[in-house]
Amino acid sequence: MDRAIVVDRLVKNFEVTQKEKGLRGSIKSVFSPKKQTVHALRGISFAIQPGELVGFIGPNGAGKTTTLKILSGLLYPTSGFVQVLEHDPWEKKSEFLKQISLVMGQKNQLWWDLPAIETFELNKEIYEIPRRDYEKNLEELVTLLGVGKLLKTQVRRLSLGQRMRMELVAALLHKPKALFLDEPTIGLDLIGQQKVRDFIYEYNRKNNATVILTSHNMDDLTNLARRVIVIDDGRILFDGALEELTGRFAKEKIIKISLSKEVDVKAIGQIGEVKHVLFPEVILSVPRSVVAVAAAEILQNFPVDDLTIEEVPIEEIIKKVFKGELTK
Amino acid sequence: MKKYFQIFKISFQQEFSYRLNFIMWRVRNVLQIILTFFLWSSVFKNPQTEVFGYNQGKILTYVFGILLLRAIVFSARAVDVAGEISNGNITNFLLKPVSYFKYWATRDIASKVLNLVFSVFEITILFLILKPNLFLQTNLITLFAVLISLIFAIVLFFCLLFITNISAFWMPENGWAAQFLFIGIITDFLSGGVFPLDVLPFTLQRALYSTPFPYLLFFPLQVYLGKITGLEIVRGLVTSGAWVFILFVILKFIWARGLRRYSAEGR
Repeated sequence: MDRAIVVDRLVKNFEVTQKEKGLRGSIKSVFSPKKQTVHALRGISFAIQPGELVGFIGPNGAGKTTTLKILSGLLYPTSGFVQVLEHDPWEKKSEFLKQISLVMGQKNQLWWDLPAIETFELNKEIYEIPRRDYEKNLEELVTLLGVGKLLKTQVRRLSLGQRMRMELVAALLHKPKALFLDEPTIGLDLIGQQKVRDFIYEYNRKNNATVILTSHNMDDLTNLARRVIVIDDGRILFDGALEELTGRFAKEKIIKISLSKEVDVKAIGQIGEVKHVLFPEVILSVPRSVVAVAAAEILQNFPVDDLTIEEVPIEEIIKKVFKGELTK
Repeated sequence: MKKYFQIFKISFQQEFSYRLNFIMWRVRNVLQIILTFFLWSSVFKNPQTEVFGYNQGKILTYVFGILLLRAIVFSARAVDVAGEISNGNITNFLLKPVSYFKYWATRDIASKVLNLVFSVFEITILFLILKPNLFLQTNLITLFAVLISLIFAIVLFFCLLFITNISAFWMPENGWAAQFLFIGIITDFLSGGVFPLDVLPFTLQRALYSTPFPYLLFFPLQVYLGKITGLEIVRGLVTSGAWVFILFVILKFIWARGLRRYSAEGR
């Protein structure tokens, strides 16, 4: 198997009923419902190798979650081709479902009124995990995530972070070959986020599992994903190594200057956009195409101790991605 | 098979974690029995009175029988399916190698077993206190026919309930209303849960017999009471068997269509 996931010209449209505001609107929508088609995915294509860890990024409503739902067989594609682990997800074959897992940060599969261990036992039967494997996996997951003491606590009494980790245990007991994570660190504190992140990294590495992750958390992406796919408005804007994102989208470069004498910053402002001034340091942002000229000009006209030219930090780019400010 | 046994066990635990709810529900049932008992025994004060072919013994048996049958046929957890569809919880099951129908059928059975155990217990106590003059069917063949019709009734109700619930794929907000109207009122009424169907005009009765509803409660009970016999039993069983088949096909069809519409919202 050379491709874990293949997606080709995938399209998904939703029919949404519009409702005008207020009671009058409600009544109106009963008699003449206004249907609107939402284009969630407008023909996306990509392929993922076994063992890859890929980050999906894009603003809210870009189509990230829709893609994950299609990959796990929840949604029926409007058109296009999807193959995951050599299966058509929509068929929901047992062999397929036993090899995947979808974890959504805002969703519970744990039985709310019972201790988490009950859900695990149930999953053991549902996924037909042999007793020995089950015990080994459970032990391993519980230790890695540090939730050993909470197995017998009613799920409703767990904190959000504890519950999220339990969710991960429940989702991974059957050792899925393909793991889809939708906002796995949402609502967690910094330590909790770090635990979950380390865990995902370990899981991917140890089991050579294919992982797709969506997140709004920049640390998730910069720490975990080597490859990112940027989606906006149902289209793929970028697919490649995280470091290349900068080269691709940053229209500017950063010039850092260390001045030897205090000068009028306004004069420097004519060369490029001043981002930050804290004598003796000045940070400028200039268009990529003129960066060499700008640097020469600065060196000529100002008392400069030191000058460096840098790429825009990756966080800045990702921030822009989430704001939907990037276009092809 | 083992996975469904585990589901059975966990459902039981789930029911017990809402102990008070369950107890209140049982209390309601007991009160209902006592109420209907006194109502009908005052109507049939004179043991010789006979209305629509019911004497005191048979009408009381009918009332007790309906309550027991309701516990068996109508107690079902699949009422939660509509909610699961509209809040997106169903996603959990669609992602797992488990049949959603079998899952709910198992949970239904768990609920039925629990309810049955309690209602047998309650009815025994009430029987000892009230000492009603009940009709006992002793013919083994008839009892066997009752058993078969009961199995059909359970499957029929499961299909009807499930079809009503998965309408939530199209109308996520209307799941509960559809359920209340269709299952809570219409089905209960047409299946003889409120009063014996043979008090209705004859033509209406005949029409009803070609629908699935009387086979849920009324038909099994009539067979037990010996009011339906011989070839009539066979005809009834064939009709309800046919309905089982038809509703199952409809259910499968609607389910497949509904899944395509499902958008796993909010999750």
